[in-house]
Amino acid sequence: MFGGGKIKIKKELYERVKKFAELAGYSSLDEFVEHALEKEISKLESSESEDETKEKLKGLGYIS
Amino acid sequence: MNRREFCKQSALFITSFLLSKKGLCSSPPFLPGSGKTNTKKVIVLGIDGMDPYLLKRFIDEGRMPHFQKLISSGGDFKKLQTTIPAQSPVAWASFNTSTNPGRHGIFDFIHRQPDTFELYLSTSRTYQLEGGKLQIGKWIFSLKGGELKNLVQEKPFWNYLTEAGVPAIIYRAPSNFPPFAGKAWEMSGLSTPDLLGTYGTFSYYTDNPPENTEDVSGGKIYPTFPQNGIGENYLYGPPNSFRLDEKKPFDEVDDKRSYNYEKLKIPFKVYIDPGHHVAKIVIQGNEIFLKQGEWSNWVEVTFELLPHLKHLSGIVKFYLKEAHPHFKLYVSPININPADPALPIFNPPEYGEALVKDLGLFYTQGIAEDTKARTYHIFDDKEYWTQSQMVTKDWFRTWRWHLDRFKEGFLFFYFSTLDLGQHMFWRYIDHLSPLHEQTLKSGLKNPIENLYKQMDEALGMVLKRMDANTTLMVISDHGFTGFRRCFSLNSWLLDNGYLYLRDPDKREKTEYFDNVDWERTKAYGLGINGLYLNKEGREFNGIVRPEQETSLLAELKRKLEALIDPATGERPVKNAHIAKEVFKGRYVGTLSPDIILGFRRGYRASWKTILGGVPKDLFTDNLDPWSGDHCIDPTEVPATLVSTKKIKKSDPAIWDIGPTVLSEFGIKIPETLEGKTIF
Repeated sequence: MFGGGKIKIKKELYERVKKFAELAGYSSLDEFVEHALEKEISKLESSESEDETKEKLKGLGYIS
Repeated sequence: MNRREFCKQSALFITSFLLSKKGLCSSPPFLPGSGKTNTKKVIVLGIDGMDPYLLKRFIDEGRMPHFQKLISSGGDFKKLQTTIPAQSPVAWASFNTSTNPGRHGIFDFIHRQPDTFELYLSTSRTYQLEGGKLQIGKWIFSLKGGELKNLVQEKPFWNYLTEAGVPAIIYRAPSNFPPFAGKAWEMSGLSTPDLLGTYGTFSYYTDNPPENTEDVSGGKIYPTFPQNGIGENYLYGPPNSFRLDEKKPFDEVDDKRSYNYEKLKIPFKVYIDPGHHVAKIVIQGNEIFLKQGEWSNWVEVTFELLPHLKHLSGIVKFYLKEAHPHFKLYVSPININPADPALPIFNPPEYGEALVKDLGLFYTQGIAEDTKARTYHIFDDKEYWTQSQMVTKDWFRTWRWHLDRFKEGFLFFYFSTLDLGQHMFWRYIDHLSPLHEQTLKSGLKNPIENLYKQMDEALGMVLKRMDANTTLMVISDHGFTGFRRCFSLNSWLLDNGYLYLRDPDKREKTEYFDNVDWERTKAYGLGINGLYLNKEGREFNGIVRPEQETSLLAELKRKLEALIDPATGERPVKNAHIAKEVFKGRYVGTLSPDIILGFRRGYRASWKTILGGVPKDLFTDNLDPWSGDHCIDPTEVPATLVSTKKIKKSDPAIWDIGPTVLSEFGIKIPETLEGKTIF
């Protein structure tokens, strides 16, 4: 998994993740976890607070 | 993750945008050296902010020999109509799609979600999808991701080209992030964020912080006090949504949990030699030696999201402003690394690979010229000039790269520096600017004229390579003028009974409309040119009923156009355009402002009113180095059109350029496009 990397998770959680992966139609647990991680990266920009949004707006040169 | 991996893995994404990129990693239509010769070519050179009046003046004075040559040897030069308002995201979106704002949906730099009043940058947005999260200790895993969207709603004209088999390359077209997923080669332009997701956030480390540290936007100031000549600091990245903030991992309100994420950071050390005014910067194994006043080359930095598994790659430049007696170190906004882009800035990824292979690293930020560092006096004029010239140098070598390889089809190329330079340096040529006298002491000589001369050099580079099969158009998106006086629309609305505050004593502290009494407010100003009615059924707490709308708009228009600035006797509002009279399309009256203010030359929206501030003065002098602007009535700042062919259309507009390109290739102009050919 993860090209040789390993992650320890609680057995109960492992079972839940495994169950979800099967229900969602993933071919393997690895595929599901990789997919979830990948989407999280694309979500980086969306995890912003109201302050971060304000910072973004104010960063524009037209606004002080 | 490299770009090949990104391309491969993007097929896993469920978003329509990313799904649509699948399959684009095939051989491009014109790899360097593989193109044909003697085939039709059309080049559009986009020079943001090139003003037709200044251009004519410089041509007449003999300072623009290549423009002069082009125009006098069978070419043409006309003013180009631009959009209401004359803002770059709006105008370039009309260029890209040949539609009016009512259809492409971009009306200003800033938009709002009417039902939630969430404010956002208008051209791209990340939507949070509903979904669960897995929490494993400090680590967070999202079961559904976000969706990064280009908010320009219509199809770009270059997709019609590629569908007809004409290769197209679109270098840094504004209002094009993420790039439209088509067959053209594209690199995103204006609106491309830095790695923090902002328009650009610099870092400034100093033992002598300015007094206004808290007010600085577009950058962060980190007070730092080196001990025994060694400074230990962090370069801060975006929040790591894989890792919770240890101090406050989440907030919980009404059983609803929102997570707080740890900020990514990279430690670095600075060793200062005060005797020689030099410093050594050590960051992630890189050693950078800088003399006082010297800039570094690009330095690659890597933020670890998950150790050994996932990372974000960025590039920065260091500038040692002062080593001694005070320590002052500027670090540029963290640009997305073109060699390992964390966000989709190239389409297809091979385009970026080809650029990086030949050119090395380069600026990827949409607005790479650091105007904020100048506004907040981190830079003086000379330092801003130096930094913006580094940006220009990147554009020039990239321009040369494209010209050397372009063999067939359509090429769009974009220069930004003239626009930002005019914003920052207009006070040099504007004798009426309140900053003119003190500006002349700065020591820069003719910066605006020199920027125009550089654009003449850019034109000269393409003219050398022209053949009989090539049509060239040089266009801008708007002209330019002085920004001397600020007008606060929200203050006017308040003083005239259209906007109310919950606590009038907190008027000066109001921002983001946080003190507005929506149950009594009829209208509000947002963005640089927008006025919105607080409409029932549209705004989250709207009170203006449908039957009141027409008369209220007419009343506001009449009063605003009659308004007089008591200090000058001038009328600042040339036209208060009622949106439904000037736009057509599904976004009119929903997303659009209801009135767009068309200011006269010399005036613009005040700095505070744009994001919902209500300062006590209706009019103030503009004392910001940002002294030139164009966000006014389009008739006041027409754009520029220079062409190798005679222009037959009497009133060419920016939305005519796309259809003209299609016609040059013999492609029938689709009826959905609003422009016509200019030849």
